[in-house]
Formats: sequence, C-alpha cells, structure tokens
Amino acid sequence: MAVFMAQNKDLYDAILSGDAKKAHATTEAALAAGVEPMTLIQESMVPAMDEVGRLFECEEYFVPELLLAGRAMKSAMELLKPRLSAAGQRMAVRVVIGTVKGDLHDIGKNIVASMLEGSGFEVIDLGTDVSPERFVSAVDERKPQVVCMSALLTVTMPAMKLTIDALRTAGLRTQVKVLIGGAPVTMQYAREIGADGYSENASGAVGLVKNMLAGEAA
Amino acid sequence: MPIGADLVLHEEPDTESVRNHGDALGRVIERTAARWKTPLAIPLMDLRLEKTDLLARIGVTRKDAEAFHFTSPLDETTFAALSGGDACPACPGSLARDRALAYIAAIPGLLPIGMAIGPFSLVTRLMADPITAAAMAGRGVSADDSDEVRLLLQCLQIAEAAVARSIRGQAAHGARAIMICEPAANTSFLSPRQLRAGSSIFERLVMEPNLRLNSILEECGCDLIFHDCGELIDAMVEGFAHRLHPVILSLGSSRKLWEDARLVPADVVLYGNLPTKSFYSDGAMPVEEVTRRAQELLAKMKACRHPHILGSECDVLFVPEAREAILKKVDAMMAVTDRPVPRGQAEG
Repeated sequence: MAVFMAQNKDLYDAILSGDAKKAHATTEAALAAGVEPMTLIQESMVPAMDEVGRLFECEEYFVPELLLAGRAMKSAMELLKPRLSAAGQRMAVRVVIGTVKGDLHDIGKNIVASMLEGSGFEVIDLGTDVSPERFVSAVDERKPQVVCMSALLTVTMPAMKLTIDALRTAGLRTQVKVLIGGAPVTMQYAREIGADGYSENASGAVGLVKNMLAGEAA
Repeated sequence: MPIGADLVLHEEPDTESVRNHGDALGRVIERTAARWKTPLAIPLMDLRLEKTDLLARIGVTRKDAEAFHFTSPLDETTFAALSGGDACPACPGSLARDRALAYIAAIPGLLPIGMAIGPFSLVTRLMADPITAAAMAGRGVSADDSDEVRLLLQCLQIAEAAVARSIRGQAAHGARAIMICEPAANTSFLSPRQLRAGSSIFERLVMEPNLRLNSILEECGCDLIFHDCGELIDAMVEGFAHRLHPVILSLGSSRKLWEDARLVPADVVLYGNLPTKSFYSDGAMPVEEVTRRAQELLAKMKACRHPHILGSECDVLFVPEAREAILKKVDAMMAVTDRPVPRGQAEG
C-alpha cells in the first residue's frame, strides 16, 4: 500500500513539475507493480491536472507550465491507452476539438486538449484548418458529448458559426455542447453564433466542460 | 497604424495584385497617411514575409510556407542554406514592400517606415511547438540533451539572419525607421515563473538577437520602432524600453500606457494601444466605447506627461463583413485627436 501511494505521489509530482521522463518512468513502474490504469488516472493524473489548473488560475503557473504538465501527462497516458482499450475501458466523456477552417494556429487548442485529457476526458483532436464538414463527420461517427473550436484570427472566426450551422443542418446540434475560444473570441460572440459556452483560457475550458456536463446530468 | 494600411488596401478592387506591386502598395500607404493625417508612413503589417523568403531558400513554395514547420533539428546543409547572408530570393510581397519604401521615400513630408517580424516571433512560426522548447530551455535543458531545444536555438539563428537580411534590404530602399514586431515575446511563450526564478531565457531568446539587430539599424542610419502587443510583465517592458531604446515603443491593449510611462525613458514615445482586435464586433466594442477609451488614454497620457501617439494595438486582419464596423471605429479613434480632451478626464 505504501509503495502504491508513493508511486501515485511520484506521478502526481512528475506531472505537476512537467517532468515527462519521470512521469513515463513512474507510470511504467506503477503498471509493473500491478496498479490499474484507471486508478492512476483518477488518483494521480486528474488531481495533478486539477492542481495545474488551479495554479494557472492564481497566476503561479503560465502557459509554458501548462504545456510541460500536459506533455508529462501525455507521456504517462501513452502507456495507459493500450491497456485501457484492451480492457474495453474508455473515458466517460468524449470531446472533439479542432482549430477552425482557414486557421493554422494550434497552440491554444493543444493546451486545451492536454488539459482536457489530463482531466480524464477522451479527446479526439482533429488538428488545425478543420472544415465544418470534418467537424460534422467527427460528431456523427465518434459521438462526442462536447465539441471545442478554436480560432486565433478575426478572419477565421466566422468558420465557427459555419460549423455550428453545419451541425444544425446535419441534425446533430442538439447532441453536443459547443464551446469556443481563442484570442479574438468573446462571450458576446459565442452568444451571437449560438455556441453553448466560451472560455478565455484552457483551465476555464476544462471547468466549463465539467460544469456543463454536471448541469446536464443534474 | 498598420490597421489603416490594411483598411485602405481593401478598398482596392484587386487587393492581391496591389499587395504585390511596389508602387501601387506605396500609393496605398501614402493614402493611408493622408487620410488619417499622419507623417508616419506605416506600411502594411505582413509578418509572413520573412518566413516565406527564408523557406524559399530550401525550396518551400510561397503557398506552403505558412503551414510549414520544422519538427526535428536541421542538418548541416539545410542550416547553411538558411543562414546565408545574401538577400535573394525574395517573395513578391517582400519586393513590393521594399519598392513601396522607395516610393514613399520620394514623397516630401512622409517618413518611410519599414517593418519586419522579430527573430523570436519568427522562431515561433518556424516550429510546431515553440513554447515547450522554450520552457525546456528556460529550465536549463541544453541543446545536447534535447532535440527540441537544439531546433529552437537553430531556428533562432536562422531567424535572426533572415530578419537582418530583411532590415538591410528595407534600409537600402529608403526606410528611415523600421518597426520590429515581436508579438510572441510574451508571457504565453516565456514563463514569468521561470523568469522570476532567474532564468535567462528572455535575454537569450529575445533581447540578445534584438540588440544585435538594433546595431544593424544604427549602422544603416535607421531608427528602431519596437512593437509587442503580447501580454508582458514589467521587466519585459523595461528591457525593451531601456536596452533597445527604440524611438517608439508600441504595446498591446493589455498594458496601461500611463502606468508604463514610469518604466520607459522620457525620450521613448509610447504608441497605441486601443484594442483593435475587438473592433470587428459592435457588441464587444461599440463605437462609443472606442471614443471613450481614446479620450481616456489621451487624457491620462497628457496627465503623466509622457510623449504618446494614439494608435491601434496591432493589425486587424481584414474581415469582409466587418469592414464598416472596423472603419467607423478607426475613424472615431482618430477623430478624438482632433478634439480637445474633455475637462476632468485628465485626472484619475
């Protein structure tokens, strides 16, 4: 029990300090010792990323720390994913994320994806320059509960509305919550285009997803 | 104000051909300065040009340049090809920018201003994940220990060489001041936590290359206008203001210029900084709010007695359906400079 708790703490610390090598090694050791992948996710990774989010909110951490933590979390997740699928397990909530058509910026989107993954969500990252049609296909085929769209440019923001319209035309709009974000995006714009939510940063996006789904479940 | 040239350019029926034609682009910049009554011939802000020119050296086409990223360290041949000192090849946009400078230089009463992306900001466009690499370097990871850090430092060298070629070319075409734009030198790319802990990452990645470029500008007889619209900490503003010592320091709307005045030498003019990135939306930024903010900024800058030019925080990329909304706000902002500051606004 003491060894198990120490391993959990080591993984938690590795993610918090953004040490990818240590996160990988600790996860490997925990799995070898028989710790269940879901236990590592729920007892080390999710709390670590929650703490990363809290530190970001209080300006102790900044975007570089978020990315380093996300990278450490990913290096642990790479070891867990094959075991989770072999056991027929999957995360409870699935999120499709992408930067909208015409926009090649992916830093903000990557941070949100990392934070969501680290918070226990299954994330399907469609990449950048994602057309409305690709978002629609992904929603149709992968059945996510949430779609997150990012745009860094004022010129590409209209693609967010086009994507929401395309989801509506395809009859899929009511099946998903749509969240948007990016430097020029505002809450007002989210309302104007019929999105369900807006967040100005990655940590806020994770909280928003959690709140929305909790509200739906209630 | 870069936002002005962009708006005037889009009054042309064939925007792309004007963008790539020196004299036509020069006329756009001339009209922009005349419309908003400024002697500063601020060019179009196109921060893609240096990357396009750089990548052309290794055969990446103009069409593919924007999406191109290096993902592993450069081999010797590629690094040598990207580091060369010769000015060619140049993309049509760069040729037009240079020719437009020559056009402006021939007009009495207008100050021909060049523009280039800063080396660190160019690095962030050359790499798929520059933040992680910079964070690792900031933590003390060396190029020998990490391919990502090695690539980061290689990209910084080729970026500095590319910007040096660009500013030499613009100076040769008549630029008397050059605006170096480092929007990525900000707290999203460079961690204040690391800086507080004593990391030299801001110095190595931002200040040192820009100090060397500043020396080139001095050799060419050009003034430096330094632009950074990113989120900054005070130490960054002080570094730019005191050590680069530009003639104009242009900052983003996250900064309160009247408070920054205490960080900036009295002979460095502060420029900006209304939130032009929100001008597209009447909901987020109504025209009355633009007027109010412009009046407040002018009043507070007058009160703190620091030289200031009212302007935009940054470029705003053209949004066809929002053109009228953006234009009326630019006009409202500039109209404020024609009116006396209302009594009482200079306080507080």
